[in-house]
Amino acid sequence: MSAGSEEPNAFVAVLEPWTDVIVPATTVPIVDGLVAEPRPGVARLADGSEKGGARRRHHHVETLVVGAGPAGRAAASEAASRGDRVLLVDERHVIEDAPTGDELTVLPNATGLGVYDAGYVVLHERSHAPPERVWHIRARRVVLATGALERPIAFAGNDLPGVMLAGSAATYVARFGVAPGERAAVFATNERGLGAANVLAAAGIDVVRTIDARTGERVVAAQGYGALERIVVRDTGGGEDEVDVDLLAVCGGWNPNLTLWRAIGGGLTYDTARACFVPDGGPSWLSVAGSAAGEVAESEPLWFVEEGEDTEKFVDLQRDQTVADVAATLGRGLRSVEHVKRATYIGTAVDQGRTSGVLTAEIVNHLLGEGAGAQGPSGARPPYVPVSFATLAGPFARDLFDPVRTTPINAWHLDHGAVFEDVGQWRRPRYFAPGGEPMEDSVERECLAVRNAVGAMDASTLGKIEVVGPDAPAFLDRMYTNRMSNLPVGGIRYGLMLGLDGMVWDDGVAMRLAEDRYYVTTTSSGAAAVLERFEEWLQTEWPDLRVYCTSVTEQWAVVAVNGPRARDVLSAAGTDVDLSRESFPFMSFRDGSLAGVPARLARVSFSGELAFEVHVSAWHGLAAWEAVLAAGGPFGLAPYGLEAMDVLRAEMGFFIVGQETDGTVTPFDLGMDWIVNLSKGDFIGRRSLRRTDLVRADRKQLVGLLPEDPSALLPEGAQLVLEDTGRIPMPMSGHVTSSYRSPGLDRTFALGLLAGGRGMHGRTVYAPVPEGTIAAQVTVPVFHDPEGARRDG
Amino acid sequence: MTASRPLAAYAAELARLDAGELPYLTQIDVRVDPSTAAALGFPRRPNTTSDWRDRDVLWLGPDEWLVVAAAGTPADLVEELESELGSGHRSVVDVSANRAAFELRGPDRRHRLATGCPLDLHPRSWAPGDCAQTVFGAAQVLLHERADATRVFVRPSFAGYVIGLLGSPA
Repeated sequence: MSAGSEEPNAFVAVLEPWTDVIVPATTVPIVDGLVAEPRPGVARLADGSEKGGARRRHHHVETLVVGAGPAGRAAASEAASRGDRVLLVDERHVIEDAPTGDELTVLPNATGLGVYDAGYVVLHERSHAPPERVWHIRARRVVLATGALERPIAFAGNDLPGVMLAGSAATYVARFGVAPGERAAVFATNERGLGAANVLAAAGIDVVRTIDARTGERVVAAQGYGALERIVVRDTGGGEDEVDVDLLAVCGGWNPNLTLWRAIGGGLTYDTARACFVPDGGPSWLSVAGSAAGEVAESEPLWFVEEGEDTEKFVDLQRDQTVADVAATLGRGLRSVEHVKRATYIGTAVDQGRTSGVLTAEIVNHLLGEGAGAQGPSGARPPYVPVSFATLAGPFARDLFDPVRTTPINAWHLDHGAVFEDVGQWRRPRYFAPGGEPMEDSVERECLAVRNAVGAMDASTLGKIEVVGPDAPAFLDRMYTNRMSNLPVGGIRYGLMLGLDGMVWDDGVAMRLAEDRYYVTTTSSGAAAVLERFEEWLQTEWPDLRVYCTSVTEQWAVVAVNGPRARDVLSAAGTDVDLSRESFPFMSFRDGSLAGVPARLARVSFSGELAFEVHVSAWHGLAAWEAVLAAGGPFGLAPYGLEAMDVLRAEMGFFIVGQETDGTVTPFDLGMDWIVNLSKGDFIGRRSLRRTDLVRADRKQLVGLLPEDPSALLPEGAQLVLEDTGRIPMPMSGHVTSSYRSPGLDRTFALGLLAGGRGMHGRTVYAPVPEGTIAAQVTVPVFHDPEGARRDG
Repeated sequence: MTASRPLAAYAAELARLDAGELPYLTQIDVRVDPSTAAALGFPRRPNTTSDWRDRDVLWLGPDEWLVVAAAGTPADLVEELESELGSGHRSVVDVSANRAAFELRGPDRRHRLATGCPLDLHPRSWAPGDCAQTVFGAAQVLLHERADATRVFVRPSFAGYVIGLLGSPA
């Protein structure tokens, strides 16, 4: 029907030398080796066939011109002469008479997909050599010189092959040297459309009839079997005659091509003389030039021909919708073209109603007895032409889909059988299976090493922030639930941060480096959010506080050495820090050296065992790790991963933000009243903690769970009920948050949140699971060394 | 015990990109009020750099600068800066290992960066002496344009991603 991307009929899949699942044949350049096959308007992306490797480029110009016809070329030349950087793009393969200039780039094969706020435009440079690329343009000014699209006329039989747009027929002849037929007629509402007859005739096509709609002549039917064979013409006197043709070139006027314009909010107004909608309003940085601005031929308003069966007068050739379908929709009481669109699907196919939009609106106007232009076409949205997700994703696929963050010790993990787990963007060892042993065996071995000897874990992913300034103590008192201002230099304190709603939000420790300087750690995935929160409160609420925060997450690598032999290992690795219990107690740190490099040693424990964290410059992370492992060999040291860490911390009842908590859990729910200091002054979340709902006795509270069958593993997430009746529904009283096999306890155990759980120790609860019901005893959520003697050791 | 070059694992990829690691640069983050910094000659114009005793000072924010010096002893530069900045409210933090650095050479480096960096890196708006905290794809980077190369500072954990994306066809 057409010669451009407005084509509603001819769709193909391109198989070689590039691939496209479905594209208008009218946009595919013929190249050596091209293999394409027809598609009926619907196509399926075969598994593994998605295109990869689309390129992507950000580009900045003062002036972007979309469309390289005469108006676009003029706009580009003018902008270039002003000294602008200019990008002139056109979806056609060749741009004739392209202007040139030092900072003027001409880009054929490129379609504007969408125009967005403030001159942001996304272009698709199509998949011919050079390979396809998506351009993200920031332009100070955007000129849309997108031309005008010829409008068809709805008459009976207008879907027959051989009926095509007059300008497109002329384009095939004049630009491509292809004759679309041998015996032609031209049916047009305007001078320019009728002019196609001259182009066709000059190329040797026999133009046997022109039908000038302005005089009252009409084509009332196109007929033929499978293709156009003849047309029925009604002349001005009302007489009808048949004309044998194989090509009917139709021009019902010209619609300024304003799809991109309208998608960014540009308005339309109806131009009576030209029988079309022209641009109106729009943002200041966006302008329209040439035919797109309404510089098109004057035209008789003719949308459809009265004679003939309405069911054969096609409006949307891709959705097979006719004048009769539009009329039926109005008959059901719909009035808005937006509703007609949704009821008929006109304009919703691959061509997005490029040729059917205005036609439909004007048929609606006509059938409702309203004047032409009363309603304009339905709205437009990007993308202008279909584009695959793979193309839009460009290089951000597979390995580059999202950053995979690794620690300075990662090379060692890779070499030593680490099985990894993604934690946020971090890739961390879940367990080590150097001999390919099953996970259960690895985790058991790693847990027992920590409990009975010593283990080492790469804890470099901990978030770390230096908080500096005379008001740093007061600031941290407001950020954490407990007091940090009275922490002595050299001391460490665990801290909890809440949301404004009083719910647990993040946790970590604060080390006081000097009177005015703290080094705080955050959860691995919370580092950026915690720094952002610090800055937000400092900048927006408390600008009077003299505090600076600096992220040092990746400045430091951290090796956590846990287990009764931890002190022996550090000693053997060589340190100038006095490690004795008396001079280096639990929850304190010392700056010194380890194995010859500067190190901060911190006595914190997430396993409940005697433990040291070794903080060294990231440059020394790998060496410190290797030194600890070498020194630990004789003591039975095992490197351990997240899974063992999880078992060990759960045995101590230590919660993990995001595992035991889900944004609805308060410190009281976790049984951590001891860390909430309501008398120290205000802190984030404090007021919410007084809400009656947050102090209810029957809130879900953290409990331990011991399955009656010590080999039964409660699934994490399983619901807990109080009675094993089996009757559905049953009241759900809680859920399992963490569940493991404990090598130390030689049985399974779990943590869970249970309504009123703290008052239910000793009771039995039930977890209905697909395999049956698991009964478990409610306990205090501490399963190992409740006195903390080992940790303090 | 030895240090490890943060980008050692990517040496071959960097070479293919006409790029090379700048290991162990001394990097000190300075936060102080702008007038104190200006008195020292730190840049006040956003996204520019200045020379301070043969070190580069990169503007990171209205009250934040990064002082970059050759590989050496970061603690000495921390001390020097603390003494120069006086005893008022300021923060001087060694962040030498917090970002790895490499130098991207070649005339096409602007287009390679344009794969993932939304800033205008055309010579009209990006010249030697300019710097910017921006993104490259989904990773934060700090760029510092020099006479015939662009310095890219990146958190070491993101280096694999950034170098991989730089290697994808531009």
